Parts: sequence; structure tokens; C-alpha cells
Amino acid sequence: MKRSIIPFLSAAGIVLLLLAVSYLFMQQGHAEKAPEPPARPVPVDSTKCIAPVGKMRASHMQMLNEWRHSSVREGNRVHVTPDGRRFEKSLNTCLGCHGQNRLFCFNCHMYANVKPTCWNCHLSPMEMP
Amino acid sequence: MINEQRREFIRKTGLGVLAGLGAASGLFPALSLEKTLLPAWDEKPVPGKIRWGMLIDTRLCKGDCQQCTAACHRVHNVPRFINRWDEVKWIWKSPYENVFPTASQQFVDSGTKERKVLALCNHCAEPPCTRACPTEATFRRWDGIVSMDYHRCIGCRFCMAACPYGSRSFNWQDPRPAIRELSPTYPTREKGVVEKCNFCSERLVKGQLPACVEECPEKALTFGDLNDPESDIRKLLESNLTMQRKPELGTRPSVFYII
Repeated sequence: MKRSIIPFLSAAGIVLLLLAVSYLFMQQGHAEKAPEPPARPVPVDSTKCIAPVGKMRASHMQMLNEWRHSSVREGNRVHVTPDGRRFEKSLNTCLGCHGQNRLFCFNCHMYANVKPTCWNCHLSPMEMP
Repeated sequence: MINEQRREFIRKTGLGVLAGLGAASGLFPALSLEKTLLPAWDEKPVPGKIRWGMLIDTRLCKGDCQQCTAACHRVHNVPRFINRWDEVKWIWKSPYENVFPTASQQFVDSGTKERKVLALCNHCAEPPCTRACPTEATFRRWDGIVSMDYHRCIGCRFCMAACPYGSRSFNWQDPRPAIRELSPTYPTREKGVVEKCNFCSERLVKGQLPACVEECPEKALTFGDLNDPESDIRKLLESNLTMQRKPELGTRPSVFYII
């Protein structure tokens, strides 16, 4: 009888240990999970943006880089959206609508802890008159 | 025996990893690698078609008038530092012998000698500054304007050494506090970049004349396309004796003067 209890006990011990360790990891994973982003007001006129919100959120930096290159270097200052609307390639075009929300750029950038250098020279929504 | 089992295990594991990768690439197709934006180019300018130039009639330009300078510096957020060593300028007035140091200075009539002459970037056809720039931050545009991409400027000031006209200024300090009223239509610069006149390229795209030309009360400034024989500036160049600054250097300036 004794011989059959020992492996059972050791197996139970191992299972308990595994549970404890996995619980620790679960706790850690839970602690690292990002808190919800702060609620922010809806930007005015967002329905008329050059691209859908999701795309802009994901790739506005590439788009701005491309705008910068083509307008400053190649002199092509007109952006045409796939549905035929035309925009001047300028940060002021964006801020024309989004500048109404003074925290437009900052809310996300602060949350994501990214520090773009745009506002070293360009006027940010906070500084727009 | 053990070795063969191990080999089998490794082989199966490898196959499993490969299969997993293949499944993952099927689940997440090129979506994440998709090119974010493909703008349809249009109205791309033709290089060499236009060459913007300016003609300054120094006879009309009044000595003490600073309206063009004020307008330019207001529109472009040019800082105004108290210390002259920090001075930043896009367009300014200098004595005749400073603007034309290599022109004949012997027995010049007093009216000319005491004249204040407007100076700005000459937007040379053969600009020495663009050759000196190691980052291509300054470059000659398709329309002859010697432009600056402030994003690329590293502040090495090679271009300032290369420019024979002193048309470039360096931001030794943060320019923001030295700007009286911020113009929202044009960005400022930051500490550690070189800046200069851009021939109002941001106004030209909107079909406006440069700020200095528009502001001049005496209409002493003429702006136009040097490649167009029918333009006002070309007609004035044909009917007047004009000068360029330091023409012997071969930079072929686009700014001309009537003395």
C-alpha cells in the first residue's frame, strides 16, 4: 500500500507546484496588461478624413513622412484620396479639423509614450490660435 | 537507439514549427505588410521649366524702409534676437559696398555709395551651398529655388561657409521665444538648424507673390519666371542695365539689381 501512495503524493505535489507557478505567471501577465486608454472627445469632422480612422491611427506617421517627402522634395503638394477628394499635403490640413481638439495628437502619444519631434518646429494643436 | 529517437523527435519538431509558420502566414496574410498609402501623383512639376527670379530696382527702394523685411520675417516666423551675433535674417539691407564688394568702388557717385541695397538669397543656378551640404538638406528645386528641408539639416553650417553672399543664418538658440507673433501658416525652426529665404515657395504654390514683393510700397521688386521671355522680369531685364552679386564666381544668381 505504501508503495502506491508515494507516487500519487509526488504527482499531486508536482501538479500543485505547476499550478502555483502558472498562477504566478498569470498574475504577472495580468499586471503587465495595459490599462484602458483615457476617454477622449471625438474629433470634429473626423468623417471627412483622408482615410478611415483605423488606417490613420495605424499609419499616419508613414503618410506624414510621405507627404513631407513628396511636397518638400518633389513639389507635389496635392493628395488625392481613392474616392477623388483632394487635400493639400500639409500638417495644417490635418490640424484644420483635428486642431479643434487641443489634445488631438498628445492624448495617444502620451499614452503610447512616443515623442515625435514635429512640434519642435510645427505648431501643435495646443499652440494653434 | 537513443540517438535515433532524438533525431526523430528533432525532425518532427522542426516539421511542426514549419507547419505552424505556414499556418500563421496563411492566417495573417500580407495585410500587415501592405503598403500604407499609394497616393496618385498628379500635377508633378516639370524640372527646368520655370526659373523664378527677382529684380530689385535700388533707385526706387527707400533707404530707411524696412517693410519687406518686416513682412517676410513675420510671415516666416523669423526670430529676432537682440544679440547681433545670433542674428537670423532672410532679407535685409546692407550698404552698397557690402552687397557689391567686387564691383568697381573707385570714384562711385555718393548717391550710389550711400545707398542701402536689399540683399537676400540669390537662388543661384549653380548654388555652392547645395554642393557643400552633406545631408542634401538644401537642394535646388525643379523651379530654380534653392530650398531647405529643415527636417534633414544637422546644423553643420557647411552651407554657410560655402555661400558667398552670407544669405544663411544659424539658429544658435531656440528661436521660438524670439518670435514676436507666431504665424500659424508657416512652421518655425529649431535650435541647431540653418535657415534662409525660400522665395516664398509656400505662397507661390497658392498663386501668390512673395511677401516682400507684395509688401513693397514703391513696387521696387519684380518677381517672375526667368525662363519665360514674355514675363515682366525678362522685359525689365532687357530694357535696363542690371547687375548680379559677385558674378565672377559663376554661381549665376537669380536676383538682379538695377543700380
